[in-house]
Amino acid sequence: MTARQPAGPVAAPARRVLGLPLRHLDVLSEPTLERIHRATLQVLERTGVEVRSEALVRRLAALGARTDEHARRVRFPPEVVEDALALAPRTLRLAGRDPACDLELDGTTGYLTVDGNAAEILDLASGERRPSTKADLAEITRIADALPEIGFCWQPVAARDTPLPVQPLHELHAQYTNTGKHVQLMTAALPEQARGAVEIAQVVAGGEAELRARPVLSSFQTSLSPLTYDGPALEAAEVYARAGVPAGFVAMPISCATAPATRAAALVQSNAEILAGVVALELLVPGAPTFYGACGTVMDLRTGAAACGGPEDLLFQMAGAQLARRYGLPSSIGTFATGAKAPDWQAGLENGLSALASWLGGADMLCGAGLLYGARVYSAVELLLDVEIFSLVRSLADGVPDADEDLAVEVIAEVGPGGHYLAQPHTLQHMREQWQPRFFGREPWEDWEAAGRPQPHERAAARAREILAEHRPEPLPPGVEEAILQVIVEYERRTEGAR
Amino acid sequence: MDERIAALREALYALDGPTATAISTELIEAGVEPQRVLQEGLAEAMLEIGRRWNAGEVFLPEVVAAAEIFKQCQAIVEPALLAAGGQTLGHRVVMATVKGDLHDLGKNMVGAMMKTAGFEVHDLGKDVPAERIIEAVRELEPSIVGLSSLLTTTVPEQRTVIQALEEAGLRRAVKVMVGGAPVTEDWAKQIGADGYAPNAPEAVKVALQLAGSERPTEG
Repeated sequence: MTARQPAGPVAAPARRVLGLPLRHLDVLSEPTLERIHRATLQVLERTGVEVRSEALVRRLAALGARTDEHARRVRFPPEVVEDALALAPRTLRLAGRDPACDLELDGTTGYLTVDGNAAEILDLASGERRPSTKADLAEITRIADALPEIGFCWQPVAARDTPLPVQPLHELHAQYTNTGKHVQLMTAALPEQARGAVEIAQVVAGGEAELRARPVLSSFQTSLSPLTYDGPALEAAEVYARAGVPAGFVAMPISCATAPATRAAALVQSNAEILAGVVALELLVPGAPTFYGACGTVMDLRTGAAACGGPEDLLFQMAGAQLARRYGLPSSIGTFATGAKAPDWQAGLENGLSALASWLGGADMLCGAGLLYGARVYSAVELLLDVEIFSLVRSLADGVPDADEDLAVEVIAEVGPGGHYLAQPHTLQHMREQWQPRFFGREPWEDWEAAGRPQPHERAAARAREILAEHRPEPLPPGVEEAILQVIVEYERRTEGAR
Repeated sequence: MDERIAALREALYALDGPTATAISTELIEAGVEPQRVLQEGLAEAMLEIGRRWNAGEVFLPEVVAAAEIFKQCQAIVEPALLAAGGQTLGHRVVMATVKGDLHDLGKNMVGAMMKTAGFEVHDLGKDVPAERIIEAVRELEPSIVGLSSLLTTTVPEQRTVIQALEEAGLRRAVKVMVGGAPVTEDWAKQIGADGYAPNAPEAVKVALQLAGSERPTEG
């Protein structure tokens, strides 16, 4: 990605993925960062984490953790933490089914995902909220495939019309058939589901070694704040890691409820949870590709719900990315996810600032676009509006290039005082570097009235319908979809047998 | 004694647990009617805290802290209350996080807010199997059963509990409320629950409506 690349409405083919050149603005001073780090080591050593699997606790004990099997408590001495962290790869490759969509996370470029995983969707036709289906997941993924600003895909909504034990496998089916982009699976938290997901990814990649070389699938598990991991979730992470599928850890603490009230303590606890996951994984599968996921917010003090979208979130985003950098781990940072219930002023402001924070903070993965109501409702309209925000920030990230051609002293001399730049070759050459809005209104007042005073969200809705009518993703090679479905049938049979 | 009961209320407002329990003990030992301590002291204080929450003067963490002190004081008053023949506070609510789910934060918030509306809350805890809920309904004869789950995988257990209530012939005796992050109004209707709320304050409103109506509606 060069700084000279025009941002904004990209006429380039949909297959390309547009990343965000990152800044690494440190929101925490060096002493604060180290105080948080040291406090984290204290928490990991003194309090530790609960791992809800006695078998795993026993295995971690044999690998250097201090454990209390009865209490299922795992404590990590500082040297174990440091040694394990040193094993994790510094960069991460997220391969697309289409190689033109491959992402290299090396700290220079951030990529936007579709957010997930809502249980409800704002129906594009009716505008009403309703339970989500596999067809919804397929549609959102198809829209995402058409948007170059979307780098990779989470599961925007749950395929709630599929059987629960194999739901993540149906979700993969819906996504691999609708996008050439990388898929990061967030819904498979059981080892059996992870095994099914790996099999599907192997089918898509073309084999076991091919998946290792080009992981078209990555995954993450979430901690249960405060300081707890479900045993099966860690076992699922191990299944992924053994197959070469990146397995990250994401903490989603809510200050005042599942995390302490103060900002520093919330960061310490979040950091401890993420590092506990990473350290456990590196002990179990040394060198496993992993990442650092932070998605913290505060509790709404009145109702007890997750607030999503305030200034604390912005600080957590920047600090999370900085902490990940401190440990040399790629970062996945909760971005957007407004608390607003509609694509309105609140959503625009919260998500605008949020995109800015993740960019400045240096998030490798910005997660992600399209959720409303504190991550509970998905909206294709919000997806497009968030992508618009991302494209605006991308233009900001291009900064002020200063080559002679950019400084253009000759052009200024030629036009001289009182002239104009309208038809200058330099203008024609460079005008497309200017950011162009797709949904902002810049038309004259009269035109706006004549068009029935359209709002950005209405323009976005029209565009979403257009994409759905026009865009057809590149199909899977012959036989691959059948093979995916076969895996699902096999796992469906297996999980039924287990019941 | 009136000023000591007022002091008990003040201790709850101040979230001063040691003082509140000390005054409760003192009042019971002095032979004050336990029903008075419970009603005019503890329950009245929770109602006032509810009023202050409505006015935006206190926040949910303060309500939860007050509810915990309430519980400690109730434990002191209860033996005397039972000895005196027992009497309930108001409508009884039995609450539980369903089997397989260890998340009880939301349920605890709802329980605390319920107390601010005068409900007598019996909290069965987390990971509670349907059989224990049935047992509690038989024993306590509540007006409302509240079921909570945070995981999509445990939400179906809410249906199991409702079915178990039906099989036990208790379904018409209680109103069932459901809640938790993945729970929706649609789901509540689908499984034949009587009420759903997206958060603790809403849950209180729904519970007041349900408690107000005479007979359970047909699911």
